[in-house]
Amino acid sequence: MEDKLNNRHALVLSKEYPQANFTWIISLIISMVFLVNSYSFKTGEMNTFVFAIFIAYLATTFLQLFITRKMKRDLLDTGAIQKKARRLGYIQLISLVTGNIFAAAFAFNLINERKTPEYTFAVYMFLTQLFVIAISAMNIFKPYVTDTFPLAMVVLLIFAAFHVAVLIIVAKMVGDVKAPRSMAIVAILVLLTALTGNLFALLLGWSLLLKSMSNDRSRIMKWNVMWEKITRNSTATLGMFFIILMLTISVVSRFTFDYALAVENDYSHILQPPSLAYPFGTDNFGRDVFSRIIFGARISLLVGFASTAIPVIIGGFLGGIAGYYSTRTDNVIMRLLDVLYAIPGILLAIAIIAAFGANTTNLIIALSVGAIPTYARTMRANVLMVSNYDFVDSARALGTSDMSIIFKQVVPNSLAPMIVKSTLTIGGAVIATSSLSYLGLGVEPHIPEWGNILRVGSTYLESHSYLAIFPGLAIILLVLSFNFLGDGLRDALDPRLD
Amino acid sequence: MNFGVSAVLTRTFEEAQKRVMYRFLLYVLGLPLHLVVYLIYLSKRKDHTYEAAIAAVQQELKTVGGKNSWLEEYEEQLQRKWEFFQEKRSREEIHSEAEQLAEVRFQEEVERRTAERLAQDGFRKETYSAYFQSLLESPMFVIVSLLPGIFMYGLLLLISNPFLKYIMERLVQSVFVIIGVGTLVFTILYISPFDPASNILGESATPEQIVAFNQIHRLDLPYLQQLWNALKGIATFDLGSAFAGNEDVASSIANKFPITLTIAIFSVLMAIVIAIPIGILSATRPNSFLDTTFMFIALIGLSIPNFWQGLIFILNFSIKLNWLPATYSPGNALSMIMPVIVLGTGLTASIARMMRSSLLEIIHEDYIITARAKGLTKSQMLWKHAVGNAMIPVITVIGLMFGGMLGGAAVTEKVFNIKGIGSYIVDKQFIPDIPAIMGGVVYIAITISLVNLLIDILYAFLDPRIRSKMKQS
Repeated sequence: MEDKLNNRHALVLSKEYPQANFTWIISLIISMVFLVNSYSFKTGEMNTFVFAIFIAYLATTFLQLFITRKMKRDLLDTGAIQKKARRLGYIQLISLVTGNIFAAAFAFNLINERKTPEYTFAVYMFLTQLFVIAISAMNIFKPYVTDTFPLAMVVLLIFAAFHVAVLIIVAKMVGDVKAPRSMAIVAILVLLTALTGNLFALLLGWSLLLKSMSNDRSRIMKWNVMWEKITRNSTATLGMFFIILMLTISVVSRFTFDYALAVENDYSHILQPPSLAYPFGTDNFGRDVFSRIIFGARISLLVGFASTAIPVIIGGFLGGIAGYYSTRTDNVIMRLLDVLYAIPGILLAIAIIAAFGANTTNLIIALSVGAIPTYARTMRANVLMVSNYDFVDSARALGTSDMSIIFKQVVPNSLAPMIVKSTLTIGGAVIATSSLSYLGLGVEPHIPEWGNILRVGSTYLESHSYLAIFPGLAIILLVLSFNFLGDGLRDALDPRLD
Repeated sequence: MNFGVSAVLTRTFEEAQKRVMYRFLLYVLGLPLHLVVYLIYLSKRKDHTYEAAIAAVQQELKTVGGKNSWLEEYEEQLQRKWEFFQEKRSREEIHSEAEQLAEVRFQEEVERRTAERLAQDGFRKETYSAYFQSLLESPMFVIVSLLPGIFMYGLLLLISNPFLKYIMERLVQSVFVIIGVGTLVFTILYISPFDPASNILGESATPEQIVAFNQIHRLDLPYLQQLWNALKGIATFDLGSAFAGNEDVASSIANKFPITLTIAIFSVLMAIVIAIPIGILSATRPNSFLDTTFMFIALIGLSIPNFWQGLIFILNFSIKLNWLPATYSPGNALSMIMPVIVLGTGLTASIARMMRSSLLEIIHEDYIITARAKGLTKSQMLWKHAVGNAMIPVITVIGLMFGGMLGGAAVTEKVFNIKGIGSYIVDKQFIPDIPAIMGGVVYIAITISLVNLLIDILYAFLDPRIRSKMKQS
């Protein structure tokens, strides 16, 4: 009993236990969603395919529950998870077949006791590659594929095999602060595979290079601690996974998906229900909704990133100047920005689009202008705080120019809140993009964009509701991912929470 | 009594002199009075005490040789400085730089000593403002000059009270912001490459028809004239007629605005009623199952696009279950439920998250530990000390989000076919109908500014920290 009390903190401190709980709950919820959808209330028919998926997810949930119970017992009895429980992770890896990313990520996490950021990167790099291959492979059921499809799939499969090899090497060879010198070669090869948009490969390559080449121990430790904090938060990591998956898909879809299926009318296949050839059905012009959503990810990410990057740069510059210089400069800049701040972002965007017409460039500009004051305010508050620190005073005493102080001392030290804020607002930008497109004020109607797809879907709400449901789910998943990642980054970067 | 007023006026006048804006206002508002007093001041100013004193001090400092010793001191300092930075400077450069520094210090020293000496002898530096201030000290002067200086005295009394001064400054600020908003929106629409005349009249319009159209809507005037007309129109609620359909813009906006506002207010109420208890529950049990679930749901609420949520609601509650009407009709309370929930979801999620983080921060403050130490129970501590303080940033967020909600209402209104101000602006933007868009956007911006102004003023009364800060400044 005494021992159990002592080991209670092991439950709280354990990295795997909260994730185990999270995993079985999410798996249960997803399996319930499949159960509800396997039965049609209107016709009373059972959809055996969906029901089979439900059974698979339910099995995963029970296995997960069993592992969780075992982990809890281990933790309470001995204060550590035993080898036997960890081996169960190998069985849970099978859930990868059903596409249960939550259980798969947990299984990978459980198998390896010694966690380095590199291991996590390698796992998610591999998972991303696997999901991209799975999504691209849906094209086999189509009547025809693009010319580049076979070659692209072979390359993707080679990459995936390479990633598995890297995963095993990393798990065996990379230590907490040091990696063998020869890892630098692997790192460069991994960096090359990042060209597919798989940013986990970029992170892994960079991290491996750092550990194999650099002798700066404190820098490596800092890098480790930061990523440990972020990857500890399983929702933030999953958010990052989904964003990078979308990014990779938008790059790879150029070679594996046929753009014609997404934009060209095919009147012989109008308003088809979901099937293997058309996983999300077809719309009123016979266009494949699945392909349209895949190509829509490109636009959403582009507009989201661009309309966040522009105000971050402009607002950050203005806020930095306002915070660093005298009250007069501060007053002039901030009062002018107050005018912008008084108009709600969407309304300002509508006014700008009304004046200059609806297209992607104008949309990015319109969303950017409205976001400038928020970033200027955040930056100003940080600069006000940072410019009172001693290192700024000493830079000044050494005769450094104002511009150099601002850009070399003050700005780098006030970036963290800006990064967090921008991650949290990219989601908002994605929503605003699709909202404006839905109103007919955003991206041109012929381009497959999530808002545009929904606009078509909303007219068929009564008869073909899946046309409106799937693009909406895509928007929610992407926005949710950005929000989770933003929350995780805030927890990791906020010094007050240390 | 009278003497008291005079003292207040004197003190406020002295303080107001420190800020350029107030000094300027005081002189403009009391212009007739100041003209007369300035003439008297000029004729009376025969007093050369100050100049004499300065000359004496200068002479004195020169004979002591203070300037030379400073010069040497500065030369040595500069030499050491450049040696440290390992940069070469010629003797002349150092000498001239040191001389400049010494000269500056000499002037400062002269002024300081003169002021000191005069103060010792009971004199002060004679300036117009000091002279006027000395006049204000006598109640008789105030009474005599009451009529010509009535505006100036009014301003002085107003700014003598920190609350009134704060409210006035905020009001003036809001007016400038609103003028700025009007100018900005008008300019954006003015530089638009679209031509409303050819959009409305069609491609077959003759040049004469286009000229006539532009004349009717005064689009042929120069930019500044049009801007002035537009701003005047907003202030007088007379925006003229819309380009298409010949309707009066101001009255259409007046008809549509209450609909949007009603839905927005109900959404805010719903958000507060749901979110605050959830935030408190979550913060008192951090990282528990309940907390994690609530925050997970809140994050999902933040991530759902309004229009999609609306469509799903219509699909489930109107089409499948047939419980609620799919479109809004005024007077039917049932038809308002879905729009209110959809519009309020994001706000509810934000408030719940904000309340949680704010309360968590407060609970770890020292004064809460003190409250616990003096024997308050957990709930007493929570309700007496924590929740009230945690509400302060939450109310700010509500004020800010209210604006975003009025703006975002356009999407929700389109989904539920509500004839509110948001869908009005969207309908008008295809032309683009300048007066309608401008009126809609600016009146929404005004409403938001007023709400935020109200919240700021409320704070000035409620938050002791702001109150004390205001009194100090």
